[in-house]
Amino acid sequence: MQGIFSLTGFFLIVLLFFMQWEVYVKNIIITFSVSSFILSGFLLYLGIVNEEHILLALSALTAAVRGFFIPYIMLYSLRKDTWRARESEPLMGTATSILISVLIVIFAYILYRSTLYGFIKVPEGSLPIALMLQGSFLMISRRNTFIQMVGYMVMENAIILFSGYIFPGLPFVIEAGVILDLIGIVMIFALLMRIRENTISSGTPDSYENIEELKG
Amino acid sequence: MTVYVLPIIISAAGALLSVVPVLYFEETVSVAASSLSLLASIWILFMPGFNGTFLFIDGLSKLMLVMISAVYLTAVVFSITYLKYIENPLFRKKIYFLLLNLFAFTMLLSVSVNNLGWIWVGIEATTVTSALLVAVENDETALEASWRYIIVVSIGLVISLLSVVLIYGASKNLLLSSLFLSHNPDNLRLLTLGVLMGIIGYGTKAGIFPMHTWLPDVHGKAPAPISAVFSAVLLPVALYAVERLMQIAPFLIIKNFTLILGILTVVTASILIGVQKRYKRMFAYSSMENMGMVLIGLSLGGYGFAGAVVLMISHAFAKSGVFFLSGNLLSRYKTTLTSGINDVVKQMPVTGYGLLFGSMSVTGLPPFGSFFGELMVIYALIKNYGIIIAGVVAVFLILAFISLNYHVGRMLFSESGNPALKKMEQGRTAIIMPVINIILSFGVVFFIPQIISILQR
Repeated sequence: MQGIFSLTGFFLIVLLFFMQWEVYVKNIIITFSVSSFILSGFLLYLGIVNEEHILLALSALTAAVRGFFIPYIMLYSLRKDTWRARESEPLMGTATSILISVLIVIFAYILYRSTLYGFIKVPEGSLPIALMLQGSFLMISRRNTFIQMVGYMVMENAIILFSGYIFPGLPFVIEAGVILDLIGIVMIFALLMRIRENTISSGTPDSYENIEELKG
Repeated sequence: MTVYVLPIIISAAGALLSVVPVLYFEETVSVAASSLSLLASIWILFMPGFNGTFLFIDGLSKLMLVMISAVYLTAVVFSITYLKYIENPLFRKKIYFLLLNLFAFTMLLSVSVNNLGWIWVGIEATTVTSALLVAVENDETALEASWRYIIVVSIGLVISLLSVVLIYGASKNLLLSSLFLSHNPDNLRLLTLGVLMGIIGYGTKAGIFPMHTWLPDVHGKAPAPISAVFSAVLLPVALYAVERLMQIAPFLIIKNFTLILGILTVVTASILIGVQKRYKRMFAYSSMENMGMVLIGLSLGGYGFAGAVVLMISHAFAKSGVFFLSGNLLSRYKTTLTSGINDVVKQMPVTGYGLLFGSMSVTGLPPFGSFFGELMVIYALIKNYGIIIAGVVAVFLILAFISLNYHVGRMLFSESGNPALKKMEQGRTAIIMPVINIILSFGVVFFIPQIISILQR
């Protein structure tokens, strides 16, 4: 079990590294979908081994919503917003972002060992923490709103991984509520993107330095 | 249990019925739903507390239900008039009322449920239901404000979700009523860590420093009735979650952490109020300052807790009134710049004087309820931490008071230099609702003993 968890965490981190250096938004969304299916597979395995029906249901829900439905909605929106297909001006270069990603993994390990490990006693528990921090880094290092949304969902995936393995038994209704909320947020996100495209007529749409009303 | 779910069910029904394709049906049904929701909440106020599998209704929940329902009703009524002044709305009126009713539903749900996980789901759902309402004005700034809101608040709520997981890990339970009673002594540190993370996460939604960055953008750009609901009840709903976490783990480290966050929030907001050029952003920072004071009160317990609740209720009425009035100003003067507003008392006398009293109320001037709330918090602060810390907080409260009332006074009384300007007062509904709310913020004073009694029951 421990080995499978470590392997899942490792794959998810590698996929996140790929998202970090990728500039084509479509590829990032597809990578997120793959990472969600991997997470779903892990939950399925966990559910079978522990004979927990809740984990089986959560696995199915993760695959359906995070693996398929949400990436589908995002790709559908992206097809209409052709100018969003590529992150034209990332805030930092590929080499820098990968270096920071590696440092984040090391930092997460140190952070986990010096804080949570004392209570949880699961050696590989730093993997979800690293994933969470990486997700937040993906959000702040990119201007593209689709990639920011993916970063947010990576953070949530990390928590699902964390709770699924370390604290199994979290009431299913909570997990289902989380997923329903996520669907709502993504739908609103897609709608906002749609409207933004119609509202913004010229210039670089992901740059908002000149919005006077939001200063102060 | 039937009575206790009424406000939740009524608001949900109001949301569903809002989309019925009959002319003006959405307005009628929203007014009916919000009125019935308020009546049901008042009824619950006189009922004994309730502790079931799904619901947990104590004194705090009862007061929150009344506060949310009252602001919900006034916001619905005010919206009917205000929507006419939005030139290019993002969506139809039916969708607006659907979302507004759903927004109220999620808040009412959050303060009624007996499960920490469900509180999280409810508060996260407030983001889903309110994000589009922020962007009603349908311009680039509104959309950007809405986007920032979703991103910043969602990250905060991810931290709260982690907190829920950690608390579950420590207690193997998420029922509030059980968590209040017992803790596993082996996992107290994990529980403490979970609660601290929850305070940061929900603090983001409450506009607590340093996670407050979304707050002025959203309050400044959302339409007036939505800003009113955000400021008056959404921020307190997030603080309600913080209070529940503190009740679960009433440890000194958590109280101190919350106190520090509260003080930093008051200090930051008080400084930022003075440098604002736009009046809605200024009122947003004033909300942040009040939430800081509420957080300080919650961290202190006893008189501080009672003061925090009194302040929260008085602020809810006053600030919703102030935001309604700021909507009147915007619809007439067509600017959010403070420097663009002059001579309001002559041109819009009811709005002008309403704003004057509203500003006094939100900055804690006697005899408004917020003054007594702040006084109780300061008293508890002196009692627990001595005069120096209380003095620092009081200095920044005074700074906020001077800054906000200076700007408001300048807008109300400075001469426009144009004697030909005619009276610009809004229609009756647009001035009656804010005036009622500001009067209610004063009326809270007469109910302070009852509020304390309800909290103690």
